[in-house]
Order: sequence, then structure tokens, then C-alpha cells
Amino acid sequence: MKASAYLAIALRGLLRNRRRAGVTLAAIAFGFAAIALFAGYTHNIYRGLSLQAIHGELLGHLTLSKRGMSREGKLAPERYLLSADDISRIRALVAANPHVKLVTLRLALSGIVSNGRASTIFVAEGVEPEAARGLQDGLRDAMDLGAAPTGGVRNLDTEKPDHVTLAAGLAGLLHLKPEDSAVILSNTLGGQANALDIRIADVFNTGNAATNDLYAYMPLQLVRSLYDAEGRADRLTILLDDVAATESVRADLMRELAAAGFDLEIRTWNELSTFYTQVRGMFDMIFGFIFSIVLTVVLMSVANSMGMAVVERTREIGTLRAIGLRRAGVVRLFVGEAALLVLLGCAVGLLLTLGVRYGINVADIAYVPPNQTEPVPLLVDLDAARIAFTALMMAVVAAFAAWMPARRAARQPIIDALGHV
Amino acid sequence: MPTSASSLLRLTDIRRRFHLGETVVEALGGVSLDIQAGEFLAVWGPSGSGKSTLMNMLGLIDQPTSGMVQFDGADVGALSDDALTDFRGRRIGFVFQSFNLVPVLSALENVALPLQIQGVDKTAALARARAGLEEVGLAEFTGTRPDRLSGGQRQRVAIARALIARPDMVIADEPTANLDSDNSRMVVDLMRQMNQAHGVTFVFTTHDPRLLEHVDRKLLLRDGRIESDEVTA
Repeated sequence: MKASAYLAIALRGLLRNRRRAGVTLAAIAFGFAAIALFAGYTHNIYRGLSLQAIHGELLGHLTLSKRGMSREGKLAPERYLLSADDISRIRALVAANPHVKLVTLRLALSGIVSNGRASTIFVAEGVEPEAARGLQDGLRDAMDLGAAPTGGVRNLDTEKPDHVTLAAGLAGLLHLKPEDSAVILSNTLGGQANALDIRIADVFNTGNAATNDLYAYMPLQLVRSLYDAEGRADRLTILLDDVAATESVRADLMRELAAAGFDLEIRTWNELSTFYTQVRGMFDMIFGFIFSIVLTVVLMSVANSMGMAVVERTREIGTLRAIGLRRAGVVRLFVGEAALLVLLGCAVGLLLTLGVRYGINVADIAYVPPNQTEPVPLLVDLDAARIAFTALMMAVVAAFAAWMPARRAARQPIIDALGHV
Repeated sequence: MPTSASSLLRLTDIRRRFHLGETVVEALGGVSLDIQAGEFLAVWGPSGSGKSTLMNMLGLIDQPTSGMVQFDGADVGALSDDALTDFRGRRIGFVFQSFNLVPVLSALENVALPLQIQGVDKTAALARARAGLEEVGLAEFTGTRPDRLSGGQRQRVAIARALIARPDMVIADEPTANLDSDNSRMVVDLMRQMNQAHGVTFVFTTHDPRLLEHVDRKLLLRDGRIESDEVTA
């Protein structure tokens, strides 16, 4: 029998008991919509967090450093800083990759900042102001915002190397505001204490409670001066034209840099962003949990629906077998019916998803996530990949749920099926 | 008993036993039978005589406990389930006591179903089904679902379905049991008419001795054995 004939009969089969088919279809549709909406929500969260990590936190897509710098760099900074000559050669090699949009230098620093009366520790990033601004502007462009929300490097200026920006919490601890003066203290590479006067160029919000009373951005010259490390940096931050190219560019650059004699490591933005990785891990687990529950509900609903249909139609199965339908044909008939049920359920679920998604997105709902300082909008994307995966998995589960009773019915003797009451 | 080396269907010492708990019931106790192409044969006998079991053997929808079933000289017991199903679909038609039409399909679709199972294109299958319904006098009921048809009309649809694949033989187990006497007469007349028009072998069972008047051959079954085999034509 041709597939179109199976489908035509399967559709009629569904319409036999409309209430039962309707209940099963509703279970599939609501389950599908629940998964699709949650997937869309997490997709939006992942997108926001990845943009925040790549642009907001200035991680770029790739971070290049000497091998071991991430583990041992703070203990022996001298050993892990790149020389001016290495930087020049590496920069040229990296910039030649067609996916690379921007390469900029970074130099991390930690120390003590004082307002003359009180002092506290800080963690700072020395950046090239113009390049860092270009990196941060990506967030504004990607999220269609009027200005980059964190603004950490917005008011840094190469021409004003003593101007730094402080995270709002850190500035608050020391009662510092823009144009105030302060002193920072750290060690040079040689281990000597070194202090420099600074001026507050701006106060910004990191958006993260853990870093908001700790973080600062400084021009690279200031950090180099404090370290007494002219021309040097500990990392190169690389911005690509497409996040999807991250892994392939890393592999290409690793190969090319190794061939040029460098022993370097390149880490991706998601490897560096612990927050992103943890949030994603948690949401993926919740998604898996919801997905499993919904699939179980679909399995039970379809198994119940198809099981009853098979029992009710046992005599019909016997008739079809008598007039020439193979056992596999009987199975195909019921599996096709279940697949059709899932297809219709997913279609209704998709419409439901689109409607609820629209409602949520226009409702302008905002909330403050854990460990955050600012409210974020509740938005739901359409995660096409996970929607397709969900539909596929539901079809597989439904086919399995129909296959079991259909196979049992197809294998029973024809005379028993014909005699079924 | 007519015998021939070129029988359409031959049963040789067929026995069929059923296990009902601890009890073993022998529904057929060594039946041998030859059926020739084009015969119009009635199997009759009291309830429990083994008529339906014999029809199941003739229709190749049940396997004997022992004995051999040959169709056109070939031992059908050697066929796989799929091969036997295909064979049955092409060469045997069925008419059931309760009509056994698919309730969600129209009369036309029910008649076309055996062809569609065989993979015949839908348009061609429906065209042949339409001709089949015309032949049984139901041309105006093509789009009607079985639940809107009378018992007699349903059985005519079933006869059209049984003949659509141009089988060699039609097995009709108690085709008139659910019909009044007029419709019973009409159904047997229709089967006879199809037998003569197409040369298709018809084997049917009945309780009603009045329906045996126009058959070629009458087989009386009692206690799972053939008590008499009478050629009347």
C-alpha cells in the first residue's frame, strides 16, 4: 500500500474517536508548547549571556596567552607576559585570519586602591581604550541598545592614561565619583611596590554582584607603568565576525602559531565565562528534566490512545490481514496514525507557542536574576533547532508507543482477530 | 466427491485441533476435499460442525494441525506469512457474516481497499471500485459510509470488495446470517451471478436449506467430517 493511502486511512482513523484524539492532541500540543517556550526563553538567556561575555566582559571570542598563564600567571607574571616582539608577530599572524575583526591587548592587575582615608582591593584590566570600546560596542549593536549598558570602558582615553573607571560598588566603598582622585598600589614585575595617582573617569555597573565592588578598567599604559613592563601584555583578545567560527578559528590559529614556533594557549569565550557555563548547565538540566516529563506524558497519552484504538479495531485488523495487508502494513497503519497525531499536536503546539511568545514579549516583563544587580527583560526567542528536535523526539516516542500494541495486534492469528468482540 | 489433478484447491487429510484450557477440541477430523475452478459450492451443517474452521482453511487464514493445503498445486503451508498474505490478497476474496467493512471509509473506498493494499494507484483503484459497485447495483452509494447502508447493501459492498482484485475464489462464511430472507436470497443470487459472469469459484456456508437450491455442489459437514458431498448441477 502506498504511503498516501496509509496516511489517508490514518487520518480517518484519528477522526473515529474525536474526543480521545482531541485529548491526546491537546496533551501533545501543550507539552510541545511548554518545551518550545522554555527552549525559547533559555535561548534568549544564552544569547544575552554570550553577548555579555563576549562584548560586555570584553572576553571577545578567543583569548590568546602563553601556555599556563591562566594557572600560574599570577604567581610568576614575568614568565607569562608576552614580549613586545612576540606581540607584534602574533598580532600580525592573527589579524591575517579572514574571520578576525579585531585584536587587542590585555594586561590584568590586582592591588589596593585608596581614597586617602580608606583603601580596598581591586582587580583591574588594562585595555587599549579604542579597541576595547569597539569590542564593547558589539553588545550595543547586537542588542539594539542606545548605548553599551555596562559602559566600563566608555570614558577611557589613551590621551589620559591616569583616568580609570571603577565598578559602582568599588567606587561606593571609597565614596569615589567621576573626577575624584585616588591612589593605586601594586607590585612591579621585579617585586617592588609601586603606587600611582589616578583620576576617576567613570563609574559603571558590572551587572554582577560578585564583581561590582571589585572591578576596574584602566588604560594599558597605566598598568604597564605600574608593572614596569613597557610594551608587554599577558593576553590578546580576538573578536571574530561570527561566533559560529570560534572553534574553527581557534584550531587554525593554534596550528599556525605552533608552526611559527609559539607555545600558546587559546581559550574560547565560553571557557572563560564561568557564569555563562554555569547558567547554561543549570538551564540545560532543567530543560532536560521538563523535556523528559513531557515526553513521558506524550508516551503515556499516545500509548493509551493507540492501545485502545488497536483493541477496538482488532476485527478490522483481522479483515485487513485477510484481504492482503501484511503484518508490517498493520503496524505502519497505526504508527502512521500516531505520527499524524503528533504532527497535528506539534502544529497546534507551535501556534500556541507563537501566541504565548508574542504575549510575553509585548508584556514588557522584567525581573532581577540571582546574583544580578539590574532587572533584565523576560523575552522568549524561537529556538528552531530545539523545536525541530522536540517534534522529532515526540514523533519517535509516539511511533514507539503505537508500534507496541500494533505489533501485538498484527501478530495475533487472523481467525482470533476476526472473532474479536 | 469430484477429484482432479488440476484442482484449484485441494485439502488432504486436514485436521484442526484447538486447545481450550485442558480440553482439546478437534474441529476438523481428517477432511480431504478438492474444489474446481468456477464451482459454486455451499458448505452446510449444524452449529459446531466445523464449517467456519473449514472456511478458514479454504481461505488460507488458518493453519491445519496436520494435513496439506494445496492451491493450484502449490503447498501453501510452505509459504512465509508475507508470501501467504500476498497470495491471499491476489487470489482469494472474502465475504464475512458481519460484513467487516471499514466504517470510516466510503463504500467506494472499501471496495478499492484490496487494490490499494496491493499498491494499485488510487485513481485506477477507485475507477475499478466504481465499476464493481455498479455491477452489484450500488452505483449511487459510492460516497456512502457503511453505517448509512442497509444490511443487504453492506453485503453487496462486501461482495464487490471480495471481487475487486479478480480472485480465483471467494470465501463467504455465513454471508446471509445477519440478513432477512429477501436479502439473503438477493445476496446468494448476486454471488451466483458473479460466479457465472466472472468464473470465480464461490464457497459459502449457510444454515438455510432454501439457499442450497441453486448451488453446483453441497457439502454437508458434521462433527468435523464431511458427511456428504453432493454435486447438484
